[in-house]
Amino acid sequence: MKPDEIRVAVLRIEGTNCEDETVLAFKHLGVEAEAVHLKQFYSDSVPDRDRRSIWDYNCLVFPGGFSAGDYVRAGAIFSARLKSVLRRDLEEFIKMDFPVLGICNGFQILTELGVLPGFDEDRPISDKPEMALGINDSSRFECRPTFLRHENRGNCIFTTKLEKEIVSFPVAHAEGKVIFPKGKEDEYFDMLTENDQLVFRYVDAEGNYAGYPWNPNGSMFNIAGICNVKGNVFGLMPHPERVFWRYQHSDWNRGTKPEGAGDGRAIFESVIEYLKRL
Amino acid sequence: MIADVYIELKEGVVDPEGEATKKALRLLGFNVRNVSTRKVFRIELDAKSREEAEKKIAEMCERLLANPVIQRYSIRWVD
Amino acid sequence: MLMRFRKVDVPFELYEIEILDASDEELEEISRELGLALSLDEMRRIKAYFEKQGRNPYDIELQSLAQAWSEHCCYKSSKYYLKQFLFGVDAEYVISAIKEDAGVVEFDENYAYVVALESHNHPSAIEPYGGAATGIGGILRDVLCMGAQPVALLDPLFFGEPDTSFEKLPKGTKHPLYLLSGVVAGIRDYGNRVGIPTVAGMVFFDEAYITNCLVNVGCVGIVRKDRIIHSRAGNAGDLFVLAGGATGRDGIHGVTFASAELDESSEEEARSAVQLGNPIMKEPLIHACLEIVEKSLLTGMKDLGGGGLSCVVGEMALAAGFGAEVWLEKVHLKEVGMSPWEIWVSESQERMMLTVHPKHVDEVLSIFAKWDVPAVVVGRVMDEKVLRVFYNGHKIYEMDIEFVSGGVEYCRPYVSKKPEVEGREEIRDIGKYEELLLAMLGHPNVASREWIVRQYDHEVRAATVIKPLQGMVNREGHGDAAVIKPLPNSWRGLALTADVNPWMAKIDPYWGTASSFDEMVRNLVAVGSIPHSFADCLNFGNPEKPERMGEFVESVKALGWMARGFALPCVSGNVSLYNETPHASVAPTPTLMGIGIVEDVRRAVTADFKKDGNAIVLIGETQPEFGGSLYSKVTGMKSSYVPRTSPERLKAYVKAMLEAFSSFKIHACHDLAEGGLAVAVAEMCIASGLGADLDLSSLDSQSFVKLFSESNTRWLVEVGSGDAEKLVEFFREGQLKAEIIGFVSGHELRVKDGKDGRKFIDVEIEKLDSAWRNGLARFLG
Repeated sequence: MKPDEIRVAVLRIEGTNCEDETVLAFKHLGVEAEAVHLKQFYSDSVPDRDRRSIWDYNCLVFPGGFSAGDYVRAGAIFSARLKSVLRRDLEEFIKMDFPVLGICNGFQILTELGVLPGFDEDRPISDKPEMALGINDSSRFECRPTFLRHENRGNCIFTTKLEKEIVSFPVAHAEGKVIFPKGKEDEYFDMLTENDQLVFRYVDAEGNYAGYPWNPNGSMFNIAGICNVKGNVFGLMPHPERVFWRYQHSDWNRGTKPEGAGDGRAIFESVIEYLKRL
Repeated sequence: MIADVYIELKEGVVDPEGEATKKALRLLGFNVRNVSTRKVFRIELDAKSREEAEKKIAEMCERLLANPVIQRYSIRWVD
Repeated sequence: MLMRFRKVDVPFELYEIEILDASDEELEEISRELGLALSLDEMRRIKAYFEKQGRNPYDIELQSLAQAWSEHCCYKSSKYYLKQFLFGVDAEYVISAIKEDAGVVEFDENYAYVVALESHNHPSAIEPYGGAATGIGGILRDVLCMGAQPVALLDPLFFGEPDTSFEKLPKGTKHPLYLLSGVVAGIRDYGNRVGIPTVAGMVFFDEAYITNCLVNVGCVGIVRKDRIIHSRAGNAGDLFVLAGGATGRDGIHGVTFASAELDESSEEEARSAVQLGNPIMKEPLIHACLEIVEKSLLTGMKDLGGGGLSCVVGEMALAAGFGAEVWLEKVHLKEVGMSPWEIWVSESQERMMLTVHPKHVDEVLSIFAKWDVPAVVVGRVMDEKVLRVFYNGHKIYEMDIEFVSGGVEYCRPYVSKKPEVEGREEIRDIGKYEELLLAMLGHPNVASREWIVRQYDHEVRAATVIKPLQGMVNREGHGDAAVIKPLPNSWRGLALTADVNPWMAKIDPYWGTASSFDEMVRNLVAVGSIPHSFADCLNFGNPEKPERMGEFVESVKALGWMARGFALPCVSGNVSLYNETPHASVAPTPTLMGIGIVEDVRRAVTADFKKDGNAIVLIGETQPEFGGSLYSKVTGMKSSYVPRTSPERLKAYVKAMLEAFSSFKIHACHDLAEGGLAVAVAEMCIASGLGADLDLSSLDSQSFVKLFSESNTRWLVEVGSGDAEKLVEFFREGQLKAEIIGFVSGHELRVKDGKDGRKFIDVEIEKLDSAWRNGLARFLG
């Protein structure tokens, strides 16, 4: 696909609030991206010029925020609405190898949708959620920088251009603790490892797995982000779009070039690279 | 018909909100043994029978109100 | 009594209030009975007005006057002194100051920034979560109604002491920790959900706030200059479009409630005066309004705040020199059975009023529909300066708009304090510097605010360049000001800070306020920004008491003196009086929000030390000044001599500091405030994990003064050791004081003074860190 054919939809409903900076991250890299309200896919009340189809795009992003106020559970209402109107299309979209990214609330939505962990290639959306993003162990909203170790061996199409082993992305959430079904924790972890679905795990400044505050939410196995078995759906709690530039890092003025690339940029570069080859 | 649908964490799932509340209550001098959180949805619906209504509610829980990985639900009839 | 209220024969609830033949006592009784909070004089004015009209007023008309003439809406006690002392500092870059809901100031060639600061004190004292959340909602609307995209929130908070025992709590009062966690949760849940970062603020504890916590909220937005919208109606014939949440009984009498003292019974009476917020309505409302602004489809916009519809329609029409008619039955309601006057004065949240030319109305309504925001046409701008309200075709309100919205004004009598005559001077050296330093770092007013700050999303919008917590990851300390980069394609930034020193203002309102101004400017300069404008939120006690009014007047005088001398325009503000109960009155609390311009955010500076071996330079003059100081607080020794300052001196130092930032590589900078030099250097160590070796013998005072005095206009600066002498020379050339006092070194803080070279502080950074980190957290769990 040529760069000018790439079209990214950043999906929103009421309460989504990181769509602008997410759109901007793609635009900085020269591809077309727009924030799209879920309504624009199905509602009759939307004027024609604002109507959209999922097939107008070749990359979908679920950005951060508090879709529907995080009521019921974070991401639950967005995913229920999406399932009711777009399930088939989305399933098809994923099967056709188009990339889908969920950041923070987006990860929660993909989890509630049953798209992640996404063990089954043929059924990219499971009927029920297979994991949960529970309330942080601290029981508080946590806005803080984290260090992540990149552990993917090449399956995840969102990190192929990532050169550093340890990156720093900030988190900002109250429900981000990765929880697997009771009794199946190790099994899930082994499957994720075997299928090369582990992408990021929280570590301390030296790169060791560590507890709070390095692991800001108490996630099992320090997991911060995973992809589906095919590697084209990726969900993570930390915000790569908030560290697109170096000056957005919390400690940029401790001896770095502020106008340089931030650690998060590689995520967006990777998916664009992938789309170019698609 | 009116039902209260209780959503609670499954046994063994950590309840940080409950734990934090317990800690705060103890700081305030209350000697509480345990605190856990629940969410209640009061649902008003039409159905021919309780059985039918309970079936509908079960579906609601599975499709939106509860995440089966960490939560379970129970129904208490109000009316 | 009931015979004075006569039900009017219409198919809904409407009463005529018989005031024409009412005696003074009866007038007072009517005011009480209807919850109007109007004085006898005001009731007499109303009576005289309706005598001329030859009729009695309806309930809705009296309710409307009560809203418009409340302290909250018309500043009747404060206006006289504000005009005399504070307003009128002009700068050519100010686009709109004071007149509207928010100040508008030039940011660059094409953009302006918008500033608003407000109190939400009374509601928060009754219901901290809802009160604080709606405070955020209100301040966002103030910025939004200028057509601006909000980009940052600030929240200065004031509570009683965290260790207050429950036995000591006055009846009907909530514990400070309960209030603190409720308020923080309210700001968190609202601010985070609407996606505007909370980047700065302050939390201050003092017994004076035990019965009246203060919740001030500030907001900054950015707007293209050619898209600025004014809070006034466009033209006669334009339609009023009411958009946002439905109108309910929540928040009825919020402003009259905010304009009287709270007492034990306030809780039951006032719950209804606290509005409930819905951030998930606000977020699309912001998007929809900004889209309408972007497409130039409106002629005016104002938010519904205190007084609800009754204030917004009158004020918008009056500001444009027009009148209005309103069709009240069009307003969409939350509940059935509301009487017209309730709809008229309800303060339900998330509502905006727009005036729109009739030809654009359909498009405006369709944009709101697209965002799922309810919107309806509720009235029309009229050529005649009269406000008329209809309900299902019945005229239920007709008054001259100038009579209603013009407000009243008082010149209240006051007496000023004479702190030096009344106070005592007990301050002396008691040694034990290390112990004192640890106690200061662990004091709730100094200790780490991480528990609070991390609950606020301070990074959403990805534009927070200097964050509220800065330094090594997971060791971060407090900064002096946050820096926002509001435009994606420009390096220009905004520095934001909120400051006031209530301990100082309590002892001496004049010098305490002047010191607060000094601190605000210091903080802006510390990050490398040029002080540009400020807003004030003046929180005081009951203005009907001359000594309280005296505090207010002294404070405003000092603020005016500093602002004028320093040439910093006050662009927006709010006065909150009656923060008083029979148990206590708040300390005079003139909260200031400072805005600075950072010409290039890549050159912004943080407070954490950067490199072993760098020199530490003290800029400014240290005098024995301890009134309202932390030293006085932790030692229990009183002082009435509050630190002095002068706008001329401050200006000279600021000019030199800003020049130094461009001529030298400044690695870190921190202002000296509570706890003086000792606390400042400790904070710079904590945030970096680096130690410091200080020798104070080149300074000219007693050791405890050098360490703990809170003299104004001082900073600590970290520069490369090769630059240090040149930097000091640079300041001295300008007849200003600067001294190299030591070096960044190791992992301990070591301080010595005098010839014997004995170290009187020698402590590991870890120990300072844990005192500072646990000082407040220990109360919060």
